[in-house]
Amino acid sequence: MAAKDYNPYKTAQDQFDRVAGMLDLDQATRDLLRNSLREHHFSIPVQMDDGGKKVFRGFRVLHNDARGPGKGGIRFHPQETIDTVRALAMWMTWKCAVVDIPLGGGKGGVICDPHNLSLREQELLCRGWVRQLARNVGPFSDVPAPDVMTNAQHMLWMLDEYETIHGARYPGFITGKPVGMGGSLGRTEATGYGLIFTVREALKEMGIKPEGTVASVQGFGNVAQYAIELFTRIGGEVLCVSCWDQEKQQAFTYKKQDGIDLGELFPITDSFGSINQEKARELGYEALPGGAWLEQEVDILIPAALENEINAENVNKISKRVKLIAEGANGPTTIEADEGIKEKGIFLIPDFLANAGGVTCSYFEQVQSNMNYYWEKDEVLGKLDIKMTAAFMATSEMAKKNKLYMRDAAYVIAIDRVARASQNRGWV
Amino acid sequence: MKDLSKPDSKVDNLLNDLQERAKELNCLYKIEELLNNADAELSELFAGVIEIIPAGWQFPEVCQVKIEYKDQVYSSTGFRETPWNQSTDIAAQEKVMGRITVSYSEEVPETGSGLFLNEERKLIDTIADRIGHTILQKSLREIFKEWKEIKEELSEKKGSELRAVIDMLERSDRKLFLYVSQKMLYHLCWNSIKEAKKLLEKFGVSRKTTGRGVDDDDVNRPVQKQTIDRIISLSHEVFRVAAKSLNEEQILANIQKWVQEDKSRFLVKVIDNSNSTLNDIIDALTRYHYIEAEGAMLSDPIEKGLRVSLIRRFFADQLEFINIAKKFIEVRDFYDLSQRMVFTAESQGQLGGKSAGLFLAAHIAAKSPEHRELFKNLKVPRTWYLTSDGLINFLHYNNLEEINEQKYKSIDEIYLSYLNIVQIFKNSNFPPEVIKGLSTAIEDFGDHPIIVRSSSLLEDRFGAVFSGKYKSLFLANQGSKEDRLNALLDAVAEVYASTFAPDPIEYRTVRGLIDFNEEMGIMIQEVVGTKVGRYFFPVFAGVAFSKNDFFWSSRVKKEDGLIRMVPGLGTRAVDRVTDDYPVLIAPGMPDLRVNVSPGEVLRYSAKRIDVINLEDNSFETVEIAELLKEFGSEIPGIQHIVSTYIEGHIENPTSKFNINFNSDDLVVTFHGIIKRTPFVEQIDALLKLLEDKMGTAVDIEFAHNGESLYLLQCRPQSYSKDVSAPPIPKDLPEEKIIFSARKFVTNGIVPNITHIVFIDSNAYSRLRSLEDLKKVGRSVGKLNKILPKRQFILMGPGRWGSRGDIKLGVNVTYADINNTAMLIEIACKKGNYTPELSFGTHFFQDLVEASIRYLPLYPDEEGVIFNSRFLLGTDNILADLLPEYSELSDTVRVIDVNKSMEGFTLQILMNGDLEEAVGFLSDSSLDMEISIEPAEIEKRPKAQVNSYWRWRLHMAELIASRLDGRRFGVKGFYLLGSTKNATAGAASDIDILVHFHGTEKQRKELCLWLEGWSLSLAEMNYLRTGYSTDALLDVHIITDEDVANKTSYAVKVGAVTDAARPLPLKSAI
Repeated sequence: MAAKDYNPYKTAQDQFDRVAGMLDLDQATRDLLRNSLREHHFSIPVQMDDGGKKVFRGFRVLHNDARGPGKGGIRFHPQETIDTVRALAMWMTWKCAVVDIPLGGGKGGVICDPHNLSLREQELLCRGWVRQLARNVGPFSDVPAPDVMTNAQHMLWMLDEYETIHGARYPGFITGKPVGMGGSLGRTEATGYGLIFTVREALKEMGIKPEGTVASVQGFGNVAQYAIELFTRIGGEVLCVSCWDQEKQQAFTYKKQDGIDLGELFPITDSFGSINQEKARELGYEALPGGAWLEQEVDILIPAALENEINAENVNKISKRVKLIAEGANGPTTIEADEGIKEKGIFLIPDFLANAGGVTCSYFEQVQSNMNYYWEKDEVLGKLDIKMTAAFMATSEMAKKNKLYMRDAAYVIAIDRVARASQNRGWV
Repeated sequence: MKDLSKPDSKVDNLLNDLQERAKELNCLYKIEELLNNADAELSELFAGVIEIIPAGWQFPEVCQVKIEYKDQVYSSTGFRETPWNQSTDIAAQEKVMGRITVSYSEEVPETGSGLFLNEERKLIDTIADRIGHTILQKSLREIFKEWKEIKEELSEKKGSELRAVIDMLERSDRKLFLYVSQKMLYHLCWNSIKEAKKLLEKFGVSRKTTGRGVDDDDVNRPVQKQTIDRIISLSHEVFRVAAKSLNEEQILANIQKWVQEDKSRFLVKVIDNSNSTLNDIIDALTRYHYIEAEGAMLSDPIEKGLRVSLIRRFFADQLEFINIAKKFIEVRDFYDLSQRMVFTAESQGQLGGKSAGLFLAAHIAAKSPEHRELFKNLKVPRTWYLTSDGLINFLHYNNLEEINEQKYKSIDEIYLSYLNIVQIFKNSNFPPEVIKGLSTAIEDFGDHPIIVRSSSLLEDRFGAVFSGKYKSLFLANQGSKEDRLNALLDAVAEVYASTFAPDPIEYRTVRGLIDFNEEMGIMIQEVVGTKVGRYFFPVFAGVAFSKNDFFWSSRVKKEDGLIRMVPGLGTRAVDRVTDDYPVLIAPGMPDLRVNVSPGEVLRYSAKRIDVINLEDNSFETVEIAELLKEFGSEIPGIQHIVSTYIEGHIENPTSKFNINFNSDDLVVTFHGIIKRTPFVEQIDALLKLLEDKMGTAVDIEFAHNGESLYLLQCRPQSYSKDVSAPPIPKDLPEEKIIFSARKFVTNGIVPNITHIVFIDSNAYSRLRSLEDLKKVGRSVGKLNKILPKRQFILMGPGRWGSRGDIKLGVNVTYADINNTAMLIEIACKKGNYTPELSFGTHFFQDLVEASIRYLPLYPDEEGVIFNSRFLLGTDNILADLLPEYSELSDTVRVIDVNKSMEGFTLQILMNGDLEEAVGFLSDSSLDMEISIEPAEIEKRPKAQVNSYWRWRLHMAELIASRLDGRRFGVKGFYLLGSTKNATAGAASDIDILVHFHGTEKQRKELCLWLEGWSLSLAEMNYLRTGYSTDALLDVHIITDEDVANKTSYAVKVGAVTDAARPLPLKSAI
């Protein structure tokens, strides 16, 4: 029965095989890229608070480092499986390649539930993880980052252990550090701004001036808020935004005919992006059902909340006016919906390109850390613009030239870059 | 300059008066100082007094003093008798020992009150009193000293010194001598000494002649000299007999014991007399307090006996309580308590359960030597008590006795008359003693905010879960003394009235307690806290339980306890607040936290805070973010309360200077409190100590003002709502059991479940596509919206809500499960490995706050039952409910328990003490705690959340039952919306659908009739909750036509989902 279980690694390999077919890759390249390059499986003994010992299982997968040091998060998860880690490592390779940053793809994890661990035990676990891998990771070989259930604190413990072992300071060993402790400015804005950089370029290609375009945004978290801010600054108007209402346990769409105003919404929004309905109404916002964001008469849809929000059931409700969908969230569109979007001829900026601002900024953090010199925010965001713009143009050109759907084009360009790097090195 | 000797104006008079007062006080102070010198001889003291006094009188130059004591006379030099004098007796132990005289050597001008001022009269009395006291003290000390010497001598040489002792006894206190001889006589008789028996007979004769009991403490000295002489000679006879039959050491030891006993004998008498009033007892305690200070002691058995009597008189008759309390509460402790009691003259009342629990807990903590250092800042807030018969006296004083019959009325009538009672009570008067007492209390509290809490005799009683049934009210206590007193009286009246509220009466009826005369003691406590800006609140507060009933990890054990804490007043930790979260800590495992990632910490942190607004004199809930911006830096120890959230990272400030209150994103984490203060250790030790000494799990309420930890309440944990451990029936037929569990079981009852949503783990793991797996989660979300709220349970494999590998747990968010009564995670063995469950981690705090129960099941373990036959074999109604998900029917099974087994529902009993839980089908509904929601009204504008819809439902049913359909042309009456769905809040309408078929006139009449109800309900709702609305009923009228065309609200009638609920009418057409 187990073989028939849903397996994320198999899904990732299937996707690779499909694109490899399009690129007509040779067998050796396929064999190299559909599997991890290196895997570490190891045990981490930890002395628990009650004095007893407990042994945890840890992993680090390096999918490919032909283009540069591996990059990818460390997950603490009770049901971590090696296949999940493998799939995510592969995905990191493509993600770094599509924005053309000189990094490879990796992922790591520990089978544990931090809810069952005290902070002290978590610290020992982090240090234990680094001790097992100290010779196999590093600023020029494999760079970890925070992921599910790990955060800046874990990164600092790991960095400290790594530096203790190697007897010097290597802030470039890890990313996701707080500003002032080797972190980069601009990280908060990076994903939202990056998203709009690609939107701006897409509009340019379509010959549409951003002034006068109208967008509808799903989500009002970090990504959406910065995206709305920048989109408004380049002249666009956001007609409505949908957000989750914690108290009512359902989502609502808030709409204002002459465009929403962040300045008036921020004071009535809590730290989770829930807008206070009563106060929004007082400000002249119309409160519509959560799904209404998708049905509006707008030019651009920006899903920046959860996955599977555009699906077979609602794809037909998208207005004829919509010309562009920019995926701020991870996987907001189901496979069935992709077909509907293609039919409608809507231009799509796929998630791993559209939201690559985050990983690009992590790369910048690493660069700054390696030279131990930190840029001002403007410099970070300026460089981000250049990277995102270039990445978009390359993908779009690939799509146009080969008449590909943008999502496929992004995969093609990413896998092609990695394949060529591997070949250039003489690996295959 | 003005001539002060001839006062002529009011101002001069006043100045003169003030000057005189100052002189008097100065004089008194000097005398106190003098007399406090224990080593000085009496003659020295008298000389000193004589010297000091003149300065205190109006004309010191001509003032002279004379003291007569025994045969001696002491006086000012050149003293001569004049007619211008005043004098008073010097007495010790009610016996005149001498006299003090103050006089003027020449005539002086008279004032309004004669030669001497009124104050001078008082002053001389006070001085005489103090001298008497000093004389007594000195003689006692001498007696003790002599005894000690004699005893030492005796132990050295065996020679007889008994004679001397007895002589001295006779000389110093004849009454005591008689008492001791009497005791000795009994002692001898007891030891069967024949001579003694004869003596006893002789005493009998003498008693008849005096007509009074010799050992009667209150009797005056017998007048007949003849008789007393006879008794005394008889008494000497007793000692003669004693000397013959006992050795001297024995005799002396006994004498000493009785002498000591005698000093406190009055206390025993007063307390053991069941007719004594509180007044008598407190007088006696006060007297005891003073003589105790002077060295009198109660013998051990007597002290123990007194403790028990006092505990019984002040607190409770229950043996369980007395048995524990007597080990920790000493007689002297009652003195302090008695100084803050308010009662009427004839009162025999008690203080009630809440006061008793707190008093006991405080003394257990104070008398634990091993915790002295840890508990050095543990305190109990200043508290005043109104005794339990205050309510009866109040009724009696206002001729309101008939209100007592309220409890025998029907519940509808109780609802209606309750409002009236509140108003009547608020407009009634209190007996003058009570007003006087409360006025003293108000003076004692100053303008410190206070809370008026009920402490009823039934509440918190052993065996009766009676928490929060009555009101507690916060008072800002600001303004003039008169205003503050009036507010206090008003609050007491309101708490009294809450005895007659429908909820407690209903509750008492169910518990068979209705025939008890509810006596309601009241505690008036100062609110712990500090003033911050215009607000007043404790830095943090909360509740703690010695047994943890919520496991967020398999590593958290029951014994680790639980703390629920919030910033500000503890009300938000005591109640479940659905829109906010307290911080949870297991004191035995403080580092194992519920929320781990910065996102979780932020998500589940407190957003609001309860405070007292000193400017508006009101209780308020404010946004923490705003409070911190405005006053953050004023809050003591704020750096221990909040952390800063910076770009996904949580930083813990080490000092106030690390915080920018204007711009930082501050999160309440209590990180510093947990890590850098002994708080958690203190609570842990306190819970363990109290549990150990009280012999039962306990729960406490606490508050912290940044400096000290205050204990506010303590009671056995089983008293708190929804954590009582139900017995698990052993005789259940196996086929009726659906599942059982023996691990990670918490206490609770989940009764009358009508639907089970069961996700079959085998079928779930067979699902191939991600889309199908996600669909399962979505179907659960849909079912959550249409199944009856809190009457269904969710059962399924693995970790629900996990963001990890979806095949190992159903993919849901809290919104997808928020209406379930219970979440059951099933750990199915895979090979030789059983997966870890989530314990609801992903929405743990949401589950806790919404009282959704959680249970993990391990069906493969031995000794448990998992009835797959029922769960897999019963009809699945998923396709009927959600046709669009019918292809998931193999995986998602929805069982209508009632339909599949006529008249049966699922009952789940969980007993964490036994680590046993069982879910079984039963045809009789469990009529337990859960069916009666408490009407907890901790603060004015907030009633218990669950009671809103219950009350609305009840009122809707009432209206329907009164609605004469034939008169108004009504066919049907339905309930819609939040009341029907049990989601109504304090400000919700009651949505009603009326199926109308009548004339226009009838329609008008109907509307008028309903409007009347609507207005009265709005008023009742206001009084219950503080929410003011114009009308409470939202009436939708539909006609036959609407029903036929399914237009307007008519679609709701008979709808598949969210159908309108029909209510029976008095009559229908």
